[in-house]
Amino acid sequence: MEQRRERDGVVLRYTMGERVVHWVVALSFLYLLLTGLALFYPPFYWLAGLLGGGPVIRYWHPIVGLVFFGALVVMLLLWARDMRLERYDREWLRHMVDYAAGREEVVPPSGRFNAGQKFLFYLQFLAGILLLLSGVVLWFPLSFGRLVREASFVVHDLAAIAAMGALILHIYMGVFVIRGSWEAITRGTVSRRWAEAHHGLWLRQLRAAGSRSHE
Amino acid sequence: MPRVGLEVRAVSATKRVTPGLGHPPTGEVTKLVDVSVCIGCKACEAACKEWNDLPPNPDRPFTGSYQTLPDLDYNFWQLIKFNEVERDGRLVWALTKFQCMHCEDPGCLRACPAPGAIVQYANGIVDFVQENCIGCQFCVTGCPFDVPRISPTTGKVYKCTLCSDRVAVGLEPACVKACPTNAISFGTRPKMLAEAGERVQRLKADGYPNAAVYNPPGVGGTHVIYVVPFGNEPELYGLPKNPRVTFVNLWKGPLKWLGNTVLFGGILGAVLHYFRFGPREVNGRGTEASHQERVQ
Repeated sequence: MEQRRERDGVVLRYTMGERVVHWVVALSFLYLLLTGLALFYPPFYWLAGLLGGGPVIRYWHPIVGLVFFGALVVMLLLWARDMRLERYDREWLRHMVDYAAGREEVVPPSGRFNAGQKFLFYLQFLAGILLLLSGVVLWFPLSFGRLVREASFVVHDLAAIAAMGALILHIYMGVFVIRGSWEAITRGTVSRRWAEAHHGLWLRQLRAAGSRSHE
Repeated sequence: MPRVGLEVRAVSATKRVTPGLGHPPTGEVTKLVDVSVCIGCKACEAACKEWNDLPPNPDRPFTGSYQTLPDLDYNFWQLIKFNEVERDGRLVWALTKFQCMHCEDPGCLRACPAPGAIVQYANGIVDFVQENCIGCQFCVTGCPFDVPRISPTTGKVYKCTLCSDRVAVGLEPACVKACPTNAISFGTRPKMLAEAGERVQRLKADGYPNAAVYNPPGVGGTHVIYVVPFGNEPELYGLPKNPRVTFVNLWKGPLKWLGNTVLFGGILGAVLHYFRFGPREVNGRGTEASHQERVQ
């Protein structure tokens, strides 16, 4: 595991690899969402025109879906350890209202990801699995039975709606609320104060690991 | 008028319909298939392929049946199904001319996301407009009869048109014209329904007490109707007992509104949350950060 550097009040939060994987997931999901909306609901069909026309988006949507899912699996492998639910996550969840209302000073410190981020990730991953399974059926409808096909439509829609809701929350928190997150996921670094305020335990763990490696 | 016979009633993925065309002078049309007098000659299959200029299927699998192909295909829009069964100790050879049923409430059209790719004419014919088709095959799942088929070369979906081009100029569909036993008739809907009723009565008198007209109400009736001797067992003829368009209703109803609520509600919620609580800034200005360092 790469040692996370902390120097001059700057902490490396996401390695280059993690950032690339995040953005592969993010951009492929954005494409899937926009083309999916066009296919789901005729008032959004103009998005199809924007992205090359109906036949083009129909051709690419499932292929980009495979890219999305592949990157999501890599993401899970990268972050499996940090995404494990810990005892302190329960404490965090108890203070979710405080967190939502911006009273982060009374919210117990969290690890590299807080419980909200963890559940968001698991929600997206579960949705990803459902979207993949039902998506393959929609891709090759004639290879499956009627019941499977009809169920796949409903599952695909429900999973997509859940993923869309999670994405709105994620973008809102990352871009608008938690200032510094955008720099973290693009340039990779955050300030020490940022790490202390939002992921106190993570910073402590980093320091403990750092001092161990110096011994 | 150039569009007599092609007056539009419903268009896929479109709320409004081409205005000003009204009802066709002929009213609704219907094709009647009396399977009890079908001899399985397949003249209708040949006529369909010929009129619609569909290439042959040379690499067709041989299944040991009289049936031309196991199923419909993108270039094979109608098929005589040969089904041998026993009823009351006697062989029943159920020969069923199978093709698009031209539903009054077409599941394909409702499921189609591409504006104008599926059209229902005022005369009841449901037609695919390949020019607007995107090849998503939602219609394949939307169709309760499993009729539409995609072409691997064009990526578009095809099915029986009920010879809308012939009907538009006052001709009967090619299959009807080719049938040597009058097993297929074509005409205005009331006339065909009356004719079907008469044929059912004759079958009943001939010792088929369960003879019936197949005109399933689950899809609002169909513009291809059957006279079947064993009306209580439509499966015998490869026809579903009670076809319905259930999942499309779920999709275009509750799921649509759930999606709308999550999308617009989520965005609205985020905006309001931002107005109320605003962003969380911990970095401060550079000097503040160094101040924090000194305090530590």
